[in-house]
Amino acid sequence: MSDTSTTATAQPTTPSPQQPPAKNGAPVWLHQLASRYALIAVWALMALYFYVQVPDTFGTHGTFSSIFGSQQVLVFLAMSALITLAVGEFDLSVASVMGLTATTIPVLAGVHGMNIWLACLIGVGAAILAGAVNAFFVVVMDVSSFVVTLGTGTLLAGIAQAISGTNIVSVNSPALASFATQDVLGMPISFYYGIALALFLAYVLAWTPIGRSMVFVGSNREVARLAGIRVQRIRFGAYIAGGLLAGLAGLLLVATVGGFDSASSASYLLPALAAVFLGTAVVQPGAFNPIGTIVAIYFLTTGIFGLQLLGYQGWIQNAFYGAGLVAAVTLAKVVRDRSKKG
Amino acid sequence: MTTTRLEAHGVGKTFRAATVLRDASLVVRPGEIHALVGQNGCGKSTLIKILTGYHSPDAGMSLAVDGQQLSLPVQWQAARAAGVSVVHQDLGLLDDLTVSENIGIGGFVHSLVTRRIDWKAQDEVARAVLERLELPVSPRDLVGDLPASHRAGVAIARALRDTVAGEGVMILDEATRALPRDELARFHALIRRVVATGTSVVMISHNLEEVLSVSDRVTVLRDGDVVGEGLETASLDEAALARLMLGSSVDRVIRSVAADPDAQVVARIEALELPGHEPLTLEIRRGEVIGLTGLPGTGFEEVPYLVSGARRPSDGTMVIGGRRIDLRRSSVAALMKAGVAMVPERRVRDGLAVELNVRDNLSLPSVRRKGRPWFVSRGWQHRITTDSIHRLAIRARSGHDLVKELSGGNQQKVLFAKWLSVEPVLLVLHEPTQAVDVGARADLLSTVHRAAEEGMGVLLVSTEPADLVEACDRIYVLHPGRPPREMRTEDADEVLEAVYSQPAPAPTPAATGAHHV
Repeated sequence: MSDTSTTATAQPTTPSPQQPPAKNGAPVWLHQLASRYALIAVWALMALYFYVQVPDTFGTHGTFSSIFGSQQVLVFLAMSALITLAVGEFDLSVASVMGLTATTIPVLAGVHGMNIWLACLIGVGAAILAGAVNAFFVVVMDVSSFVVTLGTGTLLAGIAQAISGTNIVSVNSPALASFATQDVLGMPISFYYGIALALFLAYVLAWTPIGRSMVFVGSNREVARLAGIRVQRIRFGAYIAGGLLAGLAGLLLVATVGGFDSASSASYLLPALAAVFLGTAVVQPGAFNPIGTIVAIYFLTTGIFGLQLLGYQGWIQNAFYGAGLVAAVTLAKVVRDRSKKG
Repeated sequence: MTTTRLEAHGVGKTFRAATVLRDASLVVRPGEIHALVGQNGCGKSTLIKILTGYHSPDAGMSLAVDGQQLSLPVQWQAARAAGVSVVHQDLGLLDDLTVSENIGIGGFVHSLVTRRIDWKAQDEVARAVLERLELPVSPRDLVGDLPASHRAGVAIARALRDTVAGEGVMILDEATRALPRDELARFHALIRRVVATGTSVVMISHNLEEVLSVSDRVTVLRDGDVVGEGLETASLDEAALARLMLGSSVDRVIRSVAADPDAQVVARIEALELPGHEPLTLEIRRGEVIGLTGLPGTGFEEVPYLVSGARRPSDGTMVIGGRRIDLRRSSVAALMKAGVAMVPERRVRDGLAVELNVRDNLSLPSVRRKGRPWFVSRGWQHRITTDSIHRLAIRARSGHDLVKELSGGNQQKVLFAKWLSVEPVLLVLHEPTQAVDVGARADLLSTVHRAAEEGMGVLLVSTEPADLVEACDRIYVLHPGRPPREMRTEDADEVLEAVYSQPAPAPTPAATGAHHV
């Protein structure tokens, strides 16, 4: 790898070496385009296939809004995981933090009759607190983030079960529900929350000093430190922000569904992480990027939904998430390596 | 008995349209030290990677070891059996393991039945190799505790583990790069003992002085061609060798403008506490390049990090831009703001985020200064990038190239450019020409001169006497327990002598005690 790239600088105009000579003319931009947007092309092909197979069900507005209107919780949760991954940390506790909020709100508002907005505030506050606890152990005590968040994740899942008495808890609040499900141009409003969040994060990472700092902290902490970046503060902040977004994911979950089974929070973790990693295969290949994550989420959802319409049930979700993740990230890496070597 | 140990002819390598090696030959005689030199990107590492089977060669190559033809592409197991071994530049040692374990990796003596490692026998094997090399190291020592030259020795012992004494060819791929100068002589003696038995050594090195003093013959590559094949080093000098490598003559980099001795003082380091040293005070004037050197490992290497806020000294003050900054409780950000920029020694570890592109790396230190909290424009980033690529002759396709795709010399230029772009008042450099080829070195030193002419003060901390005399107006030599010695010289040997002539622990303990109190 290093050698071929060394020689690449000596021959500045030659892209992708391992292509057969016949394709000698394939220009650099085509490779870049391919490596950046291959997943979107696969997505389109997949959608076309489903449309041809089951036009009556797949081609309807109902299907469209089911695919695009159902993943807001996953979007928020994935963004929460993305923030910590971007600064070079792991956060395996995001799903449990979300579960904590999604349990706290119905318990306070539904069971104890607290004002719904106050309950939301407390629920999200608890999530931020959980992020701060993670940050304390990872950043201040310098313990491996993998270990800490695995531990706190399990702990918080237990606490949520204790709060709910291992029951499914629910709250009936039309105000809260409309906050998430109100119809805007044929989609629930929370769909736009997710898109806005991804655009906002993409902007922050690419176009603001704090975002640039985060990228460098994630890429090489010492380089960032020697450039005057307050590395510890950035890492701490990333956990807090991650906690906040996981809390908002929990809030959205309660608002959309009206209740939560605290035992189910673990099942949200892998889809969120899968989407973030799959997102590294699109738009900015090799980097954690919010737009790519959004694409990945809707790519995965489209695939699963289509397959379900074709009659595959239950097991297909896990199978598609897993296989899709490995296949797409591998493909993107292969394309990227080819267009980079010279 | 053949007259050649290793004979490779017609070695070529083409990566798609780019030919990086053309019809190269390498002929190594038994018992010689054969150096392989050339600029970064000249094809020498490709040649080595073909010999070790990492790359497959283009058609038309032949390779023989001790007269026996090897099939191509090279199977590393077959090459190894024929007696070829490699020591890579990072030595590949695991510090937490013992010498015996490090030597045995990949071929432990084990029971054929249970596959259990026979540690006693393994230690014996290790001891035998170590004795052959006359290394005063026990198989049970931890590698991490050994001095640098012994560590390199252990790496060599591993390479020679399976070869019969007096046979085989060992490739040293810049293995001396990590060695401090005072250990280099011991390492060279070790290599000479290896070849004295009849084993051959192929040595890749950027250090021309080392090449000339240690090796018997040298093969020179330039832009993929062999331009000097098996030249006797006795008939060469550094200038001739550099000419071959570059294809044109390189002069010493000499400053055209000397610093004005009465120029305004831009930075003053006051009473900087270095462990084992007297407190250091020095002044750097506008346009002046100050050198700082000493015995490796004595602590003067800390100075760049202490004066830039990367580490905190127990005492010391920096006076810069009319402000006094207490270095005990300052930070990188504060010193950057005051106008200090520091180029650290290890470019890949501390200098650049190699997974990110050139533009992002160059812009990093200015992001906060030039960007607004809610918006960092791309315009100035683009300008800095094109400026830097142009000014330092960085060989990159564009600012979008990832730093890891560049050669070492070009990475170092990016690192320079990154810190020059903040237009510092004081530029601190640590070993700025480490592991770069002669061409890049000349570019880098000229850049230092230009920076000084533009009015920066430069503090150059280095163990490379040639860099110091070519770049600096004044050089301070630090010795533990003594006041720094100031020199003005154009003669690298004079600097070397000042660093090494006086034994380090010169003053008696009583005398130092009295001195300090």
